[in-house]
Amino acid sequence: MEKTNKSLKKTLIAFIIFLIVVGIWKPLALVYGIQRGGLYSLIGLPLALILGIVGILNLAHGDFLTLGLYIGYIFFNSWSIDPLISMAPLFFILFGLGMVIYSILIRRVLKAGHLNQLLLTFGISMIIIELIKIIWTTRPRSVYTSYASSSVTLGNMSIGMYEFIYPAMAIAVLVILQLFLKKTRLGQAASAVGQNPKGAEIVGINTNVVYLVVFSIAFGIIGVAASVMLPRTPVFPLSGNPYTLKSFALVAMAGLGNLNGILIGGITLGVAEAIVQSIPGYEGWSDVVFFGILIAVILLNAYRRPES
Amino acid sequence: MLEIRNLNVKYGKIQVIWDFSIDIKSGEAVGLFGPNGAGKTTLINAIIGLVKPESGKIIFENKSLVGLETHKIIRAGIAVVPQERELFPFMTVEENLRLGSAYIPVAKNRVEENLEFVFTIFPILKERRKQKAGTLSGGQQRMLAIGRGLMANPKFLILDEPSLGLQPSLVIELFQKLKEIKKTGMSIFLTEQNVKQGLKIIDRGYVIENGRIVMDDSSINLAKSEYIQKSYLGV
Repeated sequence: MEKTNKSLKKTLIAFIIFLIVVGIWKPLALVYGIQRGGLYSLIGLPLALILGIVGILNLAHGDFLTLGLYIGYIFFNSWSIDPLISMAPLFFILFGLGMVIYSILIRRVLKAGHLNQLLLTFGISMIIIELIKIIWTTRPRSVYTSYASSSVTLGNMSIGMYEFIYPAMAIAVLVILQLFLKKTRLGQAASAVGQNPKGAEIVGINTNVVYLVVFSIAFGIIGVAASVMLPRTPVFPLSGNPYTLKSFALVAMAGLGNLNGILIGGITLGVAEAIVQSIPGYEGWSDVVFFGILIAVILLNAYRRPES
Repeated sequence: MLEIRNLNVKYGKIQVIWDFSIDIKSGEAVGLFGPNGAGKTTLINAIIGLVKPESGKIIFENKSLVGLETHKIIRAGIAVVPQERELFPFMTVEENLRLGSAYIPVAKNRVEENLEFVFTIFPILKERRKQKAGTLSGGQQRMLAIGRGLMANPKFLILDEPSLGLQPSLVIELFQKLKEIKKTGMSIFLTEQNVKQGLKIIDRGYVIENGRIVMDDSSINLAKSEYIQKSYLGV
């Protein structure tokens, strides 16, 4: 336990030093990076939750995010409900969708092996994308809110204010999740299932109920992420798709079951991306850096812990 | 208390348990001995619902267990200490123990009392209560797994090869502890390869080979039996 605490402290210190150095060198990149990294973390958390506890890699993760964006758009367009207010109904709509998807599809592949699980969620992803194209066409849509473009000028920098909601929400969701997992009966059962599903059954935990609830909560969080993104994100059939891979990258970087690591990793990757994009002429390299850092971290972890 | 009638278990096309019948009464300690691959663990998995039997009956306190989900069987009063221990490695010893009671109707209001009981039987667990289960030694993990099983206030305790992978001095200590547990009146069902130690705590024993019962007698008679002495005690 001391060892993990020590390595956590080391990671945290390295993380803070990294942020300070970037802050002195490229303050704007730091701000952008924290904002964007916050969004990555917020979207990555539900994927981490499902992968860590249910053990399913949901390749349709980003497409459910797209679906959330469209539902938020409908709320705004048809009933002029502000995205930040429709966050609550969106949470419950996606929560319900999660229950349905789990009950009719995911539950059947829990013991089916990884390839079948990947094929299933990949299929769901394609169905969602094509359904969205049929229902809403490929025309991009957007939501205009007055507050989304507010900015503040510091010295010679102009900083968008709205995007600070991403890291704020990521932290809020993380804290609530940790409280749920540590303090509630169901949450403790979920942690137990995440660490050892067979052991959990042996102490009398109904793993199927745990899977259902965790899967649905994760979907609810996707709904929250969608409504938070909506004021600053164009809505089209592939809006959410790239986030599947980025979220998976974050989980791979943080390690299974390490929810705090999602926040640290997300912000690190966000800042690294922002630095690259701040160099004129090299904007297109940001994805290379994103996945380059990912590979480096995984290699480092593998090297540091050869026994596991 | 537990009654198994004509049980057949198959993995795919391979039959592991053949026409197996056994009877365990309340307060009795029964052993199941046999070599590797005889079907001991499969039998336990069938009792706790991890494997579906092909045919046959498993009845616990007049209630059929066949087809029930594992957590329901456990909540009915059967605790199991699996060979692989199946602990929660990133939780502390105390958290592991508390989880043993938390989801069992009869145990969840007696957590503190149960903890006290487990700590008197295994004082080492009290010393290590704040340590992560994954960092314990093999012997300590075994004790934690038994402790976690006891936390459920079971009427019936199943132990799958408790001596496996332990050094000889620890094995003797462990069976000493099991004797103490037996005194509380709990029914115990034990599978073992270490027949010599196993015979010390059981009342009756069965010998299983290739999925079939080949012997069935009291522990005293088993210890005297020429077959057991030759095949299992190396006398």
